[in-house]
Amino acid sequence: MTFIIPSDHIELSLEQSLDHCIKCNICTTACPVSAVTDKFPGPKYVGPQAQRFRRPDQDTPDASVDYCSGCRVCNQVCPTGVHIAELNARARAQIVAQKGLSLRNRLLGHSDWIGRMGASPLAPIANMFLSNGLIRMITEQVIGIARHAPVPAFSRYTFRSWFKHRSAPTAKGTRKVVYFHGCATNYYEPELGRIAVEVLEHNGFEVILAKQGCCGLPLLSNGAFADAQKYHEYNVQQLLPYVKQGIPIVGTSTSCTLTLKEEAPDLLGLHSDEIKLVAENTYDIFEFLRLEHEQGRLDTNFRPVALTLPYHPPCQLRAHRIGRPALDILEMVPGLRLLESTSPCCGIAGTYGVKREKYEIGMAVGAGLFDFVQRSGSDLALCDSETCRWQITHGTGVTSKHPIEILHRAYGLASPSTGG
Amino acid sequence: MTSRMIVIGAGLSGLMSALALAEAGLRPLLLAKGYGTTYWTGGTIDLLASRRYPNMPLHTALTHLIVAQPEHPYARMELDGIAAAVDRFRTLTKAAGYPYVGGLERNVVLPTALGALRPTALLPATMAAGDVRLGGEILIAGFHELRDFFPPMAAANLQAQHIPARGVYLTLPDGYQRHDYSPRSFALWFEQPNFRQAIGQQLRTLRGTATRIGLPAVLGLRDPLGVVNDLQQISGAQIFEIPTLPPSVPGMRLMNIFHQAITVAGGRIQIGSEVRRGLGAEGVLTHIFSEAAAREQRHHVAACVLATGGIAGGGISTDFRGTVHETALNLPLHAPESRQAWFASRFLHTEGHPIFSAGVPTDDQFRPLDSTGHVVYANVMVAGSALLAGDPVEDRAVSGLALTTGWHVGTLLATSLPAQLAT
Repeated sequence: MTFIIPSDHIELSLEQSLDHCIKCNICTTACPVSAVTDKFPGPKYVGPQAQRFRRPDQDTPDASVDYCSGCRVCNQVCPTGVHIAELNARARAQIVAQKGLSLRNRLLGHSDWIGRMGASPLAPIANMFLSNGLIRMITEQVIGIARHAPVPAFSRYTFRSWFKHRSAPTAKGTRKVVYFHGCATNYYEPELGRIAVEVLEHNGFEVILAKQGCCGLPLLSNGAFADAQKYHEYNVQQLLPYVKQGIPIVGTSTSCTLTLKEEAPDLLGLHSDEIKLVAENTYDIFEFLRLEHEQGRLDTNFRPVALTLPYHPPCQLRAHRIGRPALDILEMVPGLRLLESTSPCCGIAGTYGVKREKYEIGMAVGAGLFDFVQRSGSDLALCDSETCRWQITHGTGVTSKHPIEILHRAYGLASPSTGG
Repeated sequence: MTSRMIVIGAGLSGLMSALALAEAGLRPLLLAKGYGTTYWTGGTIDLLASRRYPNMPLHTALTHLIVAQPEHPYARMELDGIAAAVDRFRTLTKAAGYPYVGGLERNVVLPTALGALRPTALLPATMAAGDVRLGGEILIAGFHELRDFFPPMAAANLQAQHIPARGVYLTLPDGYQRHDYSPRSFALWFEQPNFRQAIGQQLRTLRGTATRIGLPAVLGLRDPLGVVNDLQQISGAQIFEIPTLPPSVPGMRLMNIFHQAITVAGGRIQIGSEVRRGLGAEGVLTHIFSEAAAREQRHHVAACVLATGGIAGGGISTDFRGTVHETALNLPLHAPESRQAWFASRFLHTEGHPIFSAGVPTDDQFRPLDSTGHVVYANVMVAGSALLAGDPVEDRAVSGLALTTGWHVGTLLATSLPAQLAT
């Protein structure tokens, strides 16, 4: 007997996953947004339930889906496998396709535009400008970016410029990786990129800096799917030649790696062999190092790091569904103790929490995490996502770093230079 | 970090197994597709209430079953094994400030949200005053805003069973109106003293001659006993919780308690990671693969507890050809041969539905067996509703089997493991 498999069964499995919803409301009890605001009725309602009323040729039945932060907690807790977050993201995109994208969301979606304008030797001026209360108030009134929302400071140099001009270029080795730095590392936190490169090189990798654009996640989460697709296709085009040679893509921004792996292909319905190949060969940095360790290739000759630090696995990392690779590696560092946060989300969810109408929601969502970090008494918190780090610092006053910086320290690698 | 103790499933059985392994210092990893059936069920532990063993103490009924069905999981644990699991669970919940009452002596009969009567062996102390033997008039109180809980209907059904009862609706205090309501909304509100005060005052006014008041089981997440005590003081009546339709607040409390206990003891819980397949060699499971973004996550297995549930929980599934299969490791099953044999002729048939008897046959070590009676994987043990165990639905033993086999298998695995596997 033969069975007819629909040609686009991946698409069908997403769209039809709503039929697996048994209305148990587990997602509603886990949703951090509906817990703090009445504006979002919960994942079940705007996801599988409202989806029955959405047709390509009809107006979407309910605008409240825009209050979904896209943290994907609903997907993880769903016992029947409904792709709730994807349904919500696509519903938002349908609204954007009909009503257009606001100037604010267009700006927030293009983090690369902003970064390119700001990250330069003139960054201190731009930063002063952006931290000015009056300007922030005007920005809030005119554009809709919350005046108190955390915005990162531009770097005086980009990661790419540092990499190209570094005095000790990466040694040519037999084992190579492509480093996907993402916009945040390039324009705001080039130091993180340097640290990641040094950790990879320390483990014997030649690090390649491929051409790359924004991963497109800010556009995806603002519903601008057509624009996001251009970025994703560009990235796939740039990364594919390496992947075809068996060179993996490794990133430190867990939201960028998630986008390359799954968010862009799934949300945009792109399932070509090329796109799949890039997705299957992209790794979050600690996920990659954990695999290296499983092969017995990771240097585990760690120096003691006598610290007890709060660690928040961000929602984008949880969405990889790979457990806690940073904990798996760092628990081998003598003297180090990481306190894992169980808060589902810090509230920023990429660009969600910087929007005027959502800032308070984001802060309420993050309240539990802020409390956890502050009660730890530590002056340093760890988190794998840049926007979450900024939000944690904003909500607590505690410095936040990527956990790779601790591994860097455990290897006894050079303390951060001034860069440039 | 080479190979690891893995528990598959986040229902009661998986949580109990993971707790046993964590407390033995084996740092288990619990993998689950989503939150387990704790969120779907009322939070009571039903050990056995079979119509085959009426009118006798619970431990006598269990002993009868153990004699009559020597291959039943209860028979393999014996009464001592059942008691050990119950003890650990009671200690755990008590330490978390959410004590359970009851045990192996007898079943307690509690009113349901429909006003039906349901026997159970272990119940949260917050439900204890619902025991129908206590006598006196019962007031059932609910909220129009909390769906699927109808006090007048529950009271009418209790009346029909000669239990004096009245049903009333409470009014949400000002400031608590929302577009929509869930059991969680109410649970969070009951943690606020002002809300409790307002509701307690209404209960006092509406109480009349009632000595006990039944409320939907939404009386807070963190300190439900404190909420009950408060409401008792204000209303002047005994307060008890009645389980609601899902999502179950008592189930959420249990999940929180287990999550905390397992992680503190060194275990890890990974939700959203459905185990899709396993890989073994020479009768030993070596790897399992869980669903993840872009590619499967591969786990190296030292030993594994399969606690994925039965037909209802998703551990056993069917396809359109009528095949019944175990979803995580594709273990051999005992199940009805054809689709025609799945169901009895009537929905509420007294003999139950054959499909609910589907399960993985195991040896007395709870290791899975193939059709020839050989152990499939020597380092895998099965717990909970995935087990072949007669008809747990008809026996009213689903949660009891989950709890006891989960603990039993976890401790069995911890003690039977070669020492070199312990990290």
